[in-house]
Amino acid sequence: MPIDCEDQELLEGFLAETTELLEKLDDDLIALEKASDDPELMNRIFRSIHTVKGASSFLGFDLLVRVTHKTEDVLNRLRKGELQLTSEIMDVVLEATDLVKTLVADIKGGEIVDREIDETINKLIPLLTEQPQVATQAAATGEASSGTETAAPPPEQKPAQETPPAAAMPPAAPRPAPEAAKKPAPPKGPEKGGDDLSDNSTVRVDVKRLDDLMNQVGELVLERNRMIQLNQDLQGGTSDQILFSEEFGKLAKRMSFVTSELQMQVLKMRMIPVEKVFKKFPRIVRSLARDLGKEVDLQIFGEETELDRSVVDEIGDPLIHLIRNAMDHGLETPEDRLNSGKSRTGTLILAAVHEGNSIIISIKDDGRGIDTDRVGRKAIEKGLITEDQLAAMSQREMFDLIFLPGFSTKDQASDLSGRGVGMDVVKTNIKKLNGLIEIKSEKGMGSEFILRLPLTLAIIQSLLVEVEGEIYSIPLASVLETLRVDQREFHVIGGQEVLKLRDMVLPLVRLEQVFNVRRCHEQDNFCYIVVIGSADKRVGLVVTRLVGQQEVAIKSLGKYLANVTGIAGSTILGDGRVALIVDPVGMVDGGEGTSGAR
Amino acid sequence: MSNALVPMKADEARAGEHGELIQLVSFSLDNEEYGVDVLKVREIIRMPSITRVPNTPHYVEGVINLRGKVIPIINMRRRFGLLELDYDKQTRIMVMDVEGELMGFIVDAVSEVIRISSSEIQPSPAVVTSGIDQECIAGVINQAERLLVLLDLQKMFSQDERRLFGNL
Repeated sequence: MPIDCEDQELLEGFLAETTELLEKLDDDLIALEKASDDPELMNRIFRSIHTVKGASSFLGFDLLVRVTHKTEDVLNRLRKGELQLTSEIMDVVLEATDLVKTLVADIKGGEIVDREIDETINKLIPLLTEQPQVATQAAATGEASSGTETAAPPPEQKPAQETPPAAAMPPAAPRPAPEAAKKPAPPKGPEKGGDDLSDNSTVRVDVKRLDDLMNQVGELVLERNRMIQLNQDLQGGTSDQILFSEEFGKLAKRMSFVTSELQMQVLKMRMIPVEKVFKKFPRIVRSLARDLGKEVDLQIFGEETELDRSVVDEIGDPLIHLIRNAMDHGLETPEDRLNSGKSRTGTLILAAVHEGNSIIISIKDDGRGIDTDRVGRKAIEKGLITEDQLAAMSQREMFDLIFLPGFSTKDQASDLSGRGVGMDVVKTNIKKLNGLIEIKSEKGMGSEFILRLPLTLAIIQSLLVEVEGEIYSIPLASVLETLRVDQREFHVIGGQEVLKLRDMVLPLVRLEQVFNVRRCHEQDNFCYIVVIGSADKRVGLVVTRLVGQQEVAIKSLGKYLANVTGIAGSTILGDGRVALIVDPVGMVDGGEGTSGAR
Repeated sequence: MSNALVPMKADEARAGEHGELIQLVSFSLDNEEYGVDVLKVREIIRMPSITRVPNTPHYVEGVINLRGKVIPIINMRRRFGLLELDYDKQTRIMVMDVEGELMGFIVDAVSEVIRISSSEIQPSPAVVTSGIDQECIAGVINQAERLLVLLDLQKMFSQDERRLFGNL
C-alpha cells in the first residue's frame, strides 16, 4: 500500500524527527537498564515514544500508533513505579522499539507493509496488568488503555496472564492478520531495521558553517571575475605579457588560498561524529552478552571524534564483527574469569581518537587473548598454511592468521561465529578504506584490535612518481621514506631483488615490471626507491624519478576497472591528464606473495 | 534517405507494419559501417591523451579525463580482433552509456545520425564477417547500397569479461 500523504514536507519532517528520536531512544533504554531509578532519563524515554505516537496518529499511521501506544502504556507504568524494570521487560520494550523502527523504515521506503505486530503487542499487554502493586491503579491503567483502544482486556480478567492477549486478539486481528497471512511480509530482523533508519541521505549543517561556505564561494566568484578580466585584457592587447604574468601569479595564489579554505569547509561539513556508529553498540553488546551468558561492561571513549561520512558508513560492519569476536572468543564466562583470578565482569573498551590525518579506533577486551599456538595448529588443520610456514612465522604473522578467510578456532559453527567469515570481512572492509589493522594481544591478559583509518576518502596527500615516462601517485600516508640509490647495490635473494637498508633487508618491487610499462629511458644506474609500509611489512618501490608531493582528489575508475591489481583509483593532474593511484596495501601483500612463492 | 525498403523476414514484418522510428549513430570500423542507438551516445570526442591502465584486458586502451570524470576507453578494433591502425584525424571516441556507466569506444570515424524504422532491422545472419562476437550484434540494416550492423553495447561484455576487468 503506497503512502498517501498530502503533505510531503510534513512526512519528511516526521521521518527525520522520528529517526532521530528512535536513535536516541535505544541509547537511553540501555542506559535506563543500568540506572533504572533515574527519573530524568525515564521521562525522556517516555517523551520520545509519546512524540512518535502523537506524530504518527496525526499522520494516520495506524500500525505505528498501536505499537507506540502500548509501549507508552508500559513505560508509563514503569515511570509511575507500578512495574519494576527487569531485563525481561526491557527485552520486550526493546523489541517494541525495533518494531517501531521497522515500521518507520517502511514508511521511509514509501510502502506501508502490513506487518505482524500483534505478537509484540501481545508481549506488551501482560506488562500492563502484571503484578499490580496497587490494584486500583492497575485498573485505571487498564481502563485508560481500553478507552483509547476499545480493545484492552477489562480489568476483571487480569489475573490470568494468558487471557489478555487472547482478548486483545480479536479487535486487533481483523485488519492486519488476514492480510498478513495472505502475503507474509517477512519481518526484517530488528538490527536490519535499525540500520535502515540510520542511513545518511540528509545532513544537518550548522548555519554558521554554511555562512562561512557562502563567503568562500563569494570570494571564489570574485577571483573568477578577475581571471576573466585578465584574459580579456591580454586578448584585447591592453596588458602585456609581463604585467599579465605578474597579475596572474597573484591571482593563482589567491585562488589556491580560497579553494583550500573551501576544501576545508566542505570537508568539515562531511564530518560526522563517530558516535553515529558507536551508539548502536551498547544494544548489540547487551544482547550478545545475554546470548553468550557473559557479563560485559562496555566502555566507550571518544565518540565525539569526527570523521568523514563515507568512512563512518563503512566501518559499522567491521566494528560489529570485531565486537562480536571479542565477546565470543576474547571474553570468558564469569566462572572462567573468577577461576583465572579476574573480576567477574569482563571489560570491553571501544575508543576513537584522532592522530594526525587518521583516526584510530581500538577495540580492547581483557579476556583470554589470542593463543598463537592454538591459532597456528588450527590454521594447519584447516590447510591454510603448512608446518614449515608456521615455523617461520613471527608472532605478529600468527596474529594475522585469524584474518584468513575460512579460519576459525571453533570446531562447530554457531549462529554467532565459527564460519571463518567475520574477520575476513573486517580485513577486506578496512583495506577498502585504505586502513590498517594492528593486533596486540597477550595470552591471558586480553587483546586489542587497532584500526587506523584515513579521515577522508575524497582527498589525499600523495607522492607523484614517474615510472619510465608515466606518472603514478602513491598515497603519502603509506610512504615511509624515499632514497636515491645505485642499482648496483641491489642484491638478489632467491630471485627476489632486495636492498640492504640500514639493519633491514628491504624487498624491492619494480613498478615498471608490475605495471608492464615500456622502457623509454636509457638504463640508468641511479634510481629512486619509495619505501612503503602497511602494518609492519615494508616494500621498496623502484621508480625512475620523484615528481613531488601533491594533494589529489580521488576519482574512481568506474565499476569496470574497479578491481585492477595494484591500482587503488585515479586522479586528475594539473595538466588534465589522468594519473593512477598505486594501492600500497596491494603492493606490500603482492610483493610478499611473490617472494614467498619463490 | 531511406526509400528502398528491403523485404523483411516474414514473421518480423507482420509484427509492426512500419515499426517505431529509431535514430542511430553510424560509425565505421575497418570499412564496415556500424550503428548504435543515439540515446546511448553521450558525446563524440577527438582523441585526448590516454593514461594506460596496467593489468587489464588488451582491448582496454586506458582511461581519460572527461571533464573531471575518469572513464575507461575501449579500443574497438582490438576488441573485435581487427587489424590495428594508427589514429588519424578521423579517429573518434564515442562516449556511451553502458549500463549506467560512461565508457569511451575508439572508432575509425563517426559519420552521421540516421533514422530508420525498427521494422527495417533484420536479425543478423548466422555467420557474421570479421569475427565479431555474435552476442552484441542486435541486427543488420540493409538499405539499398549500405549495410549497417546494429550493435547492442549492453551486451558488449560478457559476464566473464566483466570479471576479467577486475581480476586479470
